[in-house]
Amino acid sequence: MGNVDLEGPGLWTTSVGSLPKPSYITQARGRRARGEIDRDELRELERRATKEWIEFQDSIGTDVVVDGEIYRGDMVAYFAEELPGLEIGGLVRSYGNRYYRKPIATGPIGREHPITVEWWKYAQSLTEAPVKGMLTGPYTICDWSFNEHYATRRDFVLDLARVIRDEAVDLERAGAKFIQIDEPAASTRMDELDLVIEAMGIVTEPLSAHTITHICYGDFHHAYPKMLDIPVDQIDLEFANSEYGLLDEFAEHPFTKYIGLGVVDVHSHEIEPVEAIAEGIRRTLKFILPERMFVDPDCGLKTRTGEEARTKLTNIKQAVDIVRSEL
Amino acid sequence: MSVQTTVIGSYPKPPPEGGTFVLRKTLHALERDDTTPDDLKAAHEELTREVIAEQEGAGIDVVTDGAVRWDDIVTPFARHMAGFEVGGLLRFFDNNVYYRRPVCTGPVEWRGPATVEEFKFAQSVATVPVKAVIPGPVTFAHLSIDEFYNDHVKFVMALASVLAQEAFELQAAGATVIQIDEPALLGAPEDIDLARRAIKLVVGELTTAETILTTYFGDAKRLGGEIFSLPVHIYGLDFVSGPENREVLKLAPQGTRLQAGVVDARNTMLEPVDDLAATIGSLAETVGLENLWVAPSAGLEFLPREKAQSKLQRLAQVAKKVGA
Repeated sequence: MGNVDLEGPGLWTTSVGSLPKPSYITQARGRRARGEIDRDELRELERRATKEWIEFQDSIGTDVVVDGEIYRGDMVAYFAEELPGLEIGGLVRSYGNRYYRKPIATGPIGREHPITVEWWKYAQSLTEAPVKGMLTGPYTICDWSFNEHYATRRDFVLDLARVIRDEAVDLERAGAKFIQIDEPAASTRMDELDLVIEAMGIVTEPLSAHTITHICYGDFHHAYPKMLDIPVDQIDLEFANSEYGLLDEFAEHPFTKYIGLGVVDVHSHEIEPVEAIAEGIRRTLKFILPERMFVDPDCGLKTRTGEEARTKLTNIKQAVDIVRSEL
Repeated sequence: MSVQTTVIGSYPKPPPEGGTFVLRKTLHALERDDTTPDDLKAAHEELTREVIAEQEGAGIDVVTDGAVRWDDIVTPFARHMAGFEVGGLLRFFDNNVYYRRPVCTGPVEWRGPATVEEFKFAQSVATVPVKAVIPGPVTFAHLSIDEFYNDHVKFVMALASVLAQEAFELQAAGATVIQIDEPALLGAPEDIDLARRAIKLVVGELTTAETILTTYFGDAKRLGGEIFSLPVHIYGLDFVSGPENREVLKLAPQGTRLQAGVVDARNTMLEPVDDLAATIGSLAETVGLENLWVAPSAGLEFLPREKAQSKLQRLAQVAKKVGA
């Protein structure tokens, strides 16, 4: 568990994780799937796109940057592909016209080698700003997979927790100062929040990096304030999509961690005006100190166009600059 | 006499592995203005044909159109009535599936049938009865935000009155089985009296159609025997996510007709034949063979296409054996 070692008055800007794939990546992934190009050729393009996104984040002065996950398809499948015991299953729908390949646990989960460390090192080599290490949490991998092996969900989740812990430790050894363990599924079942907490405890226990978890689109009225027991330094939450409804809860039970404040909707083409974003930040400042606040989009931006994502991120930075000047 | 087999509603939209996903492509193209609504209609109809043929091929007695046009059980109706806007994404119960939450901003009013045309098409390409599915008024209210009535009872009753017209039109179009989905009622036992009034209104004008009150994703323990007082012909309970429904079933009056969810619509593991036969056999013993319908535990859209197919084949195969 770690504090934040960044310059400035707080309200640090960052991103939740994924950024849009440029069309040359989408095309190259299709060609790779059809066997028309080899792995190395795709990888070169992914490195180029990663570099472009890091340069963009640096150009607008982002405090904590992400590698954009250009080389990942889906946040669970990416890990499932590398972990023995998980197989990639068929397509299922997540919402609207969006589908993902839902993994199937067919045997005990293990880890043969680090999964994310090489990409993290590459991304960090491109910038002076700290790059977040990005992992998918054990509870979410379990919840978003089918289970044909484990007798209980707890057995499944705790095996995953040990694997993700090993990955996090490797990221920290490589130099990561910020490690995010996404648990978007954490708000799904209130009767399993204890399991989320137990599993996250296994992952973060050996870490001294600043740890973050991102949770989204759930029934926060029931999950809050208990979610504050999740053993991480920062919780990143969506506020734009839910119209800042959680602030009412903060009035009753103070938010005790660092917050990642999602201020733009990632499922809308609409560009939020700078002033609207600034107003959202000001409303939140009534409950949380600026030095405890990170500002970012609601969720990963991968479903937006490149232009929409750049504009949304630029507007966030401009809004932050306005509010910083008022502190 | 064998146990009747049916499905709950949705069916996987993606093609079997390796096939072309025409519906997804068409929806993307429509978003970019690269195609016409006629193409989308054709894609929907083709997929309806396919999923009905698959259900019939597996041996299912009462099928659905697979809800191939729907993203979820409420927005197709909310978009069609007056009084609603469609808002932000929210998790659909405890699934990794999200829906856009309807927001009620004005009086809820009927603006003509929402699903009658699609029902008629499905029935025209099926050789067995097609079940029409509508959301229950209590679940509809729980999945929505009410910014207009500011009164749960009034909101539910307003929805019930629109759903009653939909149900009436579906019957007029030839629906012999109408299912009313009320999964949210399981977590809202305080709404049981309201549900009774609201569902009475929904089914009030029906004369020939059989009605099924369906629940899923959990047990009806908190409703207890009260669930069997709702004014419908058949009660749908999920025995996979709600094993305690066995206890609830003991509270059912003699002669209660049951639609039992017995194969897991949310996990790929195929139920062993013997286990499934034992489950169906014991339910048949409890309610009587003639009163039992069996089904997956929920809509099959949570599974990949091939897995959904295998589950249905297994269900029909075992159900026939139990009835024999």
